[in-house]
Amino acid sequence: MPKHEFTVDMTCEGCSNAVTRVLNKLGGVQFEIDLPNKKVCIDSEHSVDTLLETLKKTGKTITYLGAK
Amino acid sequence: VNSVTIAVEGMTCNSCVQTIEQKIGKENGVHLIQVSLEKKIATIIYDSRLQNPGSLQETIDDMGFEASLPD
Ligand SMILES: [Cu+2]
Ligand SMILES: [Cu+2]
Repeated sequence: MPKHEFTVDMTCEGCSNAVTRVLNKLGGVQFEIDLPNKKVCIDSEHSVDTLLETLKKTGKTITYLGAK
Repeated sequence: VNSVTIAVEGMTCNSCVQTIEQKIGKENGVHLIQVSLEKKIATIIYDSRLQNPGSLQETIDDMGFEASLPD
């Protein structure tokens, strides 16, 4: 599965839990969240646009870093 | 114009509060939102032509915070 890396402006556990919830709601994803480095790495067949839209729902600033 | 109080779980600090206030405050028809971290609630004043308690609850829930309406 393609692996995509994003920066998500997370500052606390509440943020990373919110990211976890929106991604689980979307489904079809496997992911790792690195809170100290503000990075989220997602394994998914979803398009980058779909993943970006989903992450943006958290209200955080998101940047796509690229495929890994 | 109406107001609703929504229970919000999962906020851990003030930046969570601000994220919700900023995002929901920008939604169409929302006049005012005030979030309390201690009480775990969001009080929203909204235009009932553009929003309703269910739509507001859903938008907070979509942000990744567990939101529920009072019964
Ligand atoms: Cu946070
Ligand atoms: Cu927080």
